[in-house]
Amino acid sequence: MQPTNQFSVSNTRPIITDLNPLSPISEAYRTLRTNLQYAGVDRSLQLLMVTSASPREGKTTTINNLAAAYAQADKSVLLIDADLRKPTAHQTFQLSNRCGLTHVLAGNASAREAVKETHIRNLSVMPSGSIPPNPSELLASRKMDLLLDELRQMFDLVLIDTPPVLAVSDAQIMASRCDGVLLVINAKSVKRQHALKARDALHFVQAKIVGVAMNQTAASELNGYYSYMQASAE
Amino acid sequence: MSIDLDLRHYLSIIRKRVWLLIAIVILSTTVTGVVSYKYLQPVYQAYTKLIVNSANDKPGMVQLDLNAINTNISLINTYKEIIRTPAIMDKVVAQHPEFKVTTDELMRNINFTSVNGTQVVTLSYPSTNYKAAARIVNAISEVFQAQIPNIMKVDNVYLLHMANENKQPAPIKPNPKLNMAIMFVLSFMFGIGLVLLLDYFDDRIKSEADVERYLGLPTLVQIPSIRQVDLRGAQKTKTTAKAGEQSRAAN
Repeated sequence: MQPTNQFSVSNTRPIITDLNPLSPISEAYRTLRTNLQYAGVDRSLQLLMVTSASPREGKTTTINNLAAAYAQADKSVLLIDADLRKPTAHQTFQLSNRCGLTHVLAGNASAREAVKETHIRNLSVMPSGSIPPNPSELLASRKMDLLLDELRQMFDLVLIDTPPVLAVSDAQIMASRCDGVLLVINAKSVKRQHALKARDALHFVQAKIVGVAMNQTAASELNGYYSYMQASAE
Repeated sequence: MSIDLDLRHYLSIIRKRVWLLIAIVILSTTVTGVVSYKYLQPVYQAYTKLIVNSANDKPGMVQLDLNAINTNISLINTYKEIIRTPAIMDKVVAQHPEFKVTTDELMRNINFTSVNGTQVVTLSYPSTNYKAAARIVNAISEVFQAQIPNIMKVDNVYLLHMANENKQPAPIKPNPKLNMAIMFVLSFMFGIGLVLLLDYFDDRIKSEADVERYLGLPTLVQIPSIRQVDLRGAQKTKTTAKAGEQSRAAN
């Protein structure tokens, strides 16, 4: 089940799990996948949201790679780009953004129309659609609940990309509808106070934070395993 | 065990910014070395030796009793104060206008030392010019010797040794090696302090332990930064596979 490499390295957000599955970083995403499976023992994690405290912490990179890792494990995965402020999924997966989440929420399209296959087997993406003037209201709408229920029937796993928690309320709105929230923390940039605020904001809407993905940790922490990985790759 | 853990914690903090520490130490030691060798003027010190001994009243008679010696030794303390008075220094300045020094300067710089229990006194004078220092200290000694009988009504100071102004001794300061050694230790301590302080003020969440401690959440994964090399890995394996295929085809 090796996915074909259609992407050039020059792509803005390469998906390393897809491009280089033997890399220790891909291994990290598979570890995340495994840990998430065990984190949701009491309640199955079918709707998983990924967010962070502040922008540029690596939410989208994490969710893309995680989605690819799940897809490689033969699960039907849908990635929803609910970051209606700065959507990127259509660029990363080179899809049309003509019909996406906002069109479904506006009643202009059906869920099936908005879901698009990608070059990675088992992985579908629902791009954001055109950027609306009122993202929070759209995400909080009754239509959103219906859409999520419908998608639950269609896919094993739905991953939702959202804007940062501290910037706008979108992430909080989505968090209350998801089975779990994965908080991405950038080890290089995030301030303790911001991370705390983000956690409290999510707790406030009764979201279940399943755990933290530490992003951009020092590579030296993995070096020990790296030689092992390379050896097994030979 | 907790001490051991603490130590390791501090060591890891220092190791994280060891480049900063090394940079501070190397930079400050180098700067000190350059300044000491190139910019600081060497200071020389000229000295004369005097002996304080009561004149023999009766010539030909050896008079060396312990009391007299003790009296002389205690006189040394008195002389120490006398030499630092304008009574002596004004005369030096008046007699030697070519030195271009003031009474205050002389009083500040002259050094009057005696080894305990001896009657020998060392007068020393530092200057960036050894010749000037030698002349000044010789002049002071002579004036001192000449003035003591007037002041104390006793003529008991003899010049043992005059400074030789033609000699060029090693400078007493700066000592570049010592300066660099001191700076090395100081900057090392400063660097460690700075590194610890920076870590104290660094409120980023950097490790799994921080996540647990501050957020109370489990860490599911640690993802290293993605470098270009990591992305290229796939292509590398591809090319080797191709090469293998070619060789197989050739066989």
